[in-house]
Amino acid sequence: MVSVNFKLSDIGRIEIRLDRQLTLATLLELCEKQAGIDLWGIIAIRRGQVLTKNSLVEDGDEIDIFPAISGG
Amino acid sequence: MFSMLRINTATGKTTTETFTSKDFLLGGRTLSSRLVSREVPADCDPLGKKNKLFFCTGVLCGTTVSSSDRLSIGGKSPLTGGIKESNAGGIVGTRMAQQGLRCIVLEDAPDENGGWKIVVVGKDKTEFLDGEFLAGKGVYEKSDLLSARFGLKAGCITIGPTAEKLLYATGIACSDPHGVCSRYAGRGGLGAVMASKKVIALVILGDGEVKPEFKDQEAFKAGAKKIVQLLKENPVSSLFTKYGTAAMVDICQALKVLPTRNFRHGVMEGAEKINAQTMYDTIKARSGEGKTQHACMHPCAIQCSNVYPDKDGKLLCSPIEYETMALMGSNLCLQDLDAIATMNRIANDAGVDTLDVGAAIGVAMEAGLADFGDTAAAIRLMEEVRTLSPLGRILASGCKIAAKVLGVRHAPHVLGQAIPAYEPRGTKGMAMTYLSSPMGADHTFGFTLRDEEVPTSKEGKVALSKKIQVIGSRMDAMGMCNFVRYSVRDDMTPLLDLVRFRYGVAISEEEFDDIVKETLRIEHQFNLDAGITAKDYRFTETFYEQAQSETGEKMDITDEESALARKW
Repeated sequence: MVSVNFKLSDIGRIEIRLDRQLTLATLLELCEKQAGIDLWGIIAIRRGQVLTKNSLVEDGDEIDIFPAISGG
Repeated sequence: MFSMLRINTATGKTTTETFTSKDFLLGGRTLSSRLVSREVPADCDPLGKKNKLFFCTGVLCGTTVSSSDRLSIGGKSPLTGGIKESNAGGIVGTRMAQQGLRCIVLEDAPDENGGWKIVVVGKDKTEFLDGEFLAGKGVYEKSDLLSARFGLKAGCITIGPTAEKLLYATGIACSDPHGVCSRYAGRGGLGAVMASKKVIALVILGDGEVKPEFKDQEAFKAGAKKIVQLLKENPVSSLFTKYGTAAMVDICQALKVLPTRNFRHGVMEGAEKINAQTMYDTIKARSGEGKTQHACMHPCAIQCSNVYPDKDGKLLCSPIEYETMALMGSNLCLQDLDAIATMNRIANDAGVDTLDVGAAIGVAMEAGLADFGDTAAAIRLMEEVRTLSPLGRILASGCKIAAKVLGVRHAPHVLGQAIPAYEPRGTKGMAMTYLSSPMGADHTFGFTLRDEEVPTSKEGKVALSKKIQVIGSRMDAMGMCNFVRYSVRDDMTPLLDLVRFRYGVAISEEEFDDIVKETLRIEHQFNLDAGITAKDYRFTETFYEQAQSETGEKMDITDEESALARKW
């Protein structure tokens, strides 16, 4: 199971079972389908490291997703 | 035809000139930086009579377009020694538009012993009134006195007691929609420039009768609605509505770039005590005058501002922005939103930039003048600023000067302006932006963080910073709120169409970006002429020598790389 925590968002937590490694981009597409959402501009972090869209994720990962906003 | 009101602060003479160029059409930073470049000798004393202070509205100001009434203030900065544009929300831009003014400029300077003046701009005349009764008072009291005298509808611009003393980290306060001078053009010491001209307040009366004219009013109305629709549909803009910029606390903590302990660290234990959710919940729980959503100008569909109440529900400070939460919070290891709000209020009242003075207090704590995490001591230091004690004056001169006086090497600034709330060793894109901004360290100049795949790496960051510099500068160039950029960053035509529907002037996206890039060239040339060299665009050496503990990163951007990011 990979847990995707959408921070500062009403989406909350999405859990998806993976039987193989996927790219973050593919995982996010699965999240969009499961939750019926369109993701737009995010920052993904796993164990304190930023993930790129090509980063591989696997079962057991816990990923925090932040909206990509800015300060003022 | 666009009007500029010239006000000679030495002679009291005023003249109005008219222009038709695209510089004046676009207004905002496009105009202010060109005027500074043309009319201010780059090597002049920023607090002398050769400097000028320009107040410019933007291309859509005074219309129904959301978030389009920002006021750009430009001049030579005493803090950086270079060109400066600092902008603010509020109602002053709207009032200028109603008076038919694209720009007001304060020129020359009276004798240093001359009394303080209030300059009042109305539909029939511009006059100088005695302003001595405001001298020495805090900005909130000045604001009340100005509202009582000129009405709540007047657009008032004033400075704090720290600016009256010509201190370098002082800003200019502008009326918000409630008539309170709480919207700051805070950066670069422009408050001291205004004070050097012995103008303690500039008031734009609410009697202006100029209405916007349109080449195609129906198309303009539809275009204005489209901007609102884009803002409402954009998930980033809508997130600002709920949490404001405070949402950055969690993001920066997760990315390990939350300034902590005088920029020694990028993570603060207990950051959740000052994050967006805590602020949101606190405001909701206290209710009263508190608001999680608030517009700094009208009209605005984003409404990212807030009103933070005290425990009794009475207004404590409005607004509290992420940058302040970091520089006056995590950077000092404070985990108390009430303390941050109190410090922010004192800063607003004293008339100082919360970033530069927050950074200066961080330096003072590193020097041992107080302990990190000591809330009472941090507030006491802010009181020293307000009461203009010798230490307070040092802090109100910004972190570079404070560091020199207090013997601290690790001074977080570029060109003398404090680093905003993103620890640069952990985000090389933001670091590149800090090193390439003609305004000194500035996050709005090119906010790369959200677009950095590997924040700790400098690879590709020259190109990324330059790309985002253009995107960020587009909004400044038009006098629009920076947060509109999310809705138009891939397609500027909705805004450029509005320019066409209003003025009948077609500007292509390419032409507009050329204007933006030309503005950047002009700004960098001014700095060069002012004597600022490539070697000045650096962090202090400690950032290059010492790794930030959480990321293990040192600053590794070379002079050559940052020079490329300044080349246009």
